[in-house]
Amino acid sequence: MTPVRRVVPVQLAISAGVIAISAALAYGAWQFPAEMGFVILGAYVYPYAVALFLAGVGVVLSYQAVTGGFRELADHEDESAKVIPGGKAGVAWVTAGLLGVAVLINLIGFVLAAALLFACSARGFGSRHPLRDLAIGIALTLPIYWLFNAGLGVSLPPLVNAWI
Amino acid sequence: MDILASLAMGFSSALTPINLMWGFIGCLLGTAIGVLPGIGPALTVALLLPITAKVDPTGALIMFAGIYYGAQFGGSTTSILLNTPGESSSMVTALEGNLMARNGRAGPALATAAIGSFVAGTIATVLLTLFAPIVAKLALKFGPAEYFAILVLSFTTVSAVLGASMLRGFASLGIGLTVGLIGLDSTSGIARYTLGVPELVDGIEVVLVAVGLFAVGEALYSLLYHKEEATGRHRLTSLWMTCADWKRSVPAWLRGTLIGFPFGSIPAGGAEIPTFLSYSTERKLSKYPKEFAASKGEGAIEGVAGPEAANNASATGSLVPLLTLGIPTSATAAILLAAFQNYNLQPGPLLFETSGELVWTLVASLYIGNVILLVLNLPLVGLWVKLLQIPRPYLNAGILVFATIGVYGMRHSSFDLLLMLAIGWGGVLMRRFDFPVAPVIVGMLLGPMAEKQLRNALSISQGDWTVFVTQPISAAFLALTLLVLVVPHLLHARGIKLHEDD
Repeated sequence: MTPVRRVVPVQLAISAGVIAISAALAYGAWQFPAEMGFVILGAYVYPYAVALFLAGVGVVLSYQAVTGGFRELADHEDESAKVIPGGKAGVAWVTAGLLGVAVLINLIGFVLAAALLFACSARGFGSRHPLRDLAIGIALTLPIYWLFNAGLGVSLPPLVNAWI
Repeated sequence: MDILASLAMGFSSALTPINLMWGFIGCLLGTAIGVLPGIGPALTVALLLPITAKVDPTGALIMFAGIYYGAQFGGSTTSILLNTPGESSSMVTALEGNLMARNGRAGPALATAAIGSFVAGTIATVLLTLFAPIVAKLALKFGPAEYFAILVLSFTTVSAVLGASMLRGFASLGIGLTVGLIGLDSTSGIARYTLGVPELVDGIEVVLVAVGLFAVGEALYSLLYHKEEATGRHRLTSLWMTCADWKRSVPAWLRGTLIGFPFGSIPAGGAEIPTFLSYSTERKLSKYPKEFAASKGEGAIEGVAGPEAANNASATGSLVPLLTLGIPTSATAAILLAAFQNYNLQPGPLLFETSGELVWTLVASLYIGNVILLVLNLPLVGLWVKLLQIPRPYLNAGILVFATIGVYGMRHSSFDLLLMLAIGWGGVLMRRFDFPVAPVIVGMLLGPMAEKQLRNALSISQGDWTVFVTQPISAAFLALTLLVLVVPHLLHARGIKLHEDD
């Protein structure tokens, strides 16, 4: 037992999040419309049970968070673990790529949007040749597009949308 | 006799060119992703789920099973040559096998891993052939109360056994159950927790969550926290095993199989426990304890043979509860269950009667798959190692592109892609604070099932909650659940730590 009982704010926030989800579940269940006829176990009972379960877990997690932190964290994951240099820029690129594909896929089509994602994530993981990455991306996504549309019947949005 | 006839029928259907082709593709893909770090069988099967729309169920399931198996084979290659376990269940192999490689015995280590996987996979498939029909027959007697009890047991084992902390396992499970609640309630028809978003009325797809957590979460996490480890690759040496190697490997394979199969077939959370158990057994029984990593030796071949056999046997073992009860015991099995459901097939005792041909073809394909994998892995191991030369940026970017296709291909919704990104960030948080990921998947898949069985059980008993403890089978399962809650503490006390299978 460590003599110093630290409060770990991030972990406390996560615990609070768990309790918040539990509260949201309970509130939602309370709002369900009434069911008709003979009901042996209403639609709200099981959600209440899940809410109760999560609340219990959340309370114990919070207790751990204010008494020195979550127990038995693998050593590389305790709160001293630092983000590696360049990590933030990397995730920014990947996140931007994924956001971009979500927004653009219906506008510029699957091949271009996915190739853009490919280039952005390659950049995030340290590549420094955007044009080459984009070309590789297209070389990768074109055959996939063809395979999925023709071979598997899973239709992906067209190469370039209807305006061409 | 009955079994033999069914199996013969299965073989005749599995040996058709088209099914052989699916098996081959599955084994090929499985080995590849087993070798590659950052992508596991659960994610791969999840990404390929869209093909269920077009390919017939037998072919697709044969391929998925091949991926599941192949990943176990391929995982050992990376662990031995690079000391970076491609799959978490090959951690022990990384420990002992890499030591052998460092001392110039990479070849025998690879050989014992591949042949051991083959032996274990084949024996385990025989056991599956014999036991699955019996379990299915037994399971026919189960009513809703029994099913509910089994589901409670699975919830508990999956979340209590995986990861370092039972509490965080339960937190993950709770999140999974919550996600499972979203959508239309099948009994009352009430839309629950949809927040007025029309996309949520159908519920959230397992694939979406799996891909978000495994592919996107893993990619973001590794960018933020993984240091590039400069581990030198060890050179391949002759695969030839000496007489002494064989003599030491064979018993280890057999023991590994016997440990792996039962652990895979009970909901004990994946292949980690049996591999670690097998490793410690081999260390105790070995005549050469000095060679083991713990005594700073040169690497003991038993320490590779046993655990590799155990992890393969447990992968096969996990098909028993999946096929006979419809209960997944690992993340990959959970995704396989989703594949069955995409075909409107409900794995369970009735599957053997309603889709007997499919089940037996699948079983037969496992025998064939093991042979294919042995052939693919032993002579071609040099080729697989070449895969590791794909630059990391392209490997990760490729995984993300496939993730996008997998998710978008389901229902062509940008909303799903945004959700995937959000879940990915959730996954980063979970990994950062060591919350296991598999319970989320299991919870969201089995949660709705549990609710349904609970309601059915209570309808039959007319609202009497005591059915769960007065019915002997159900009471036994609940008692087991209590055991599961206690035993990990004992294991932890003995210094055995477990990691999850993804």
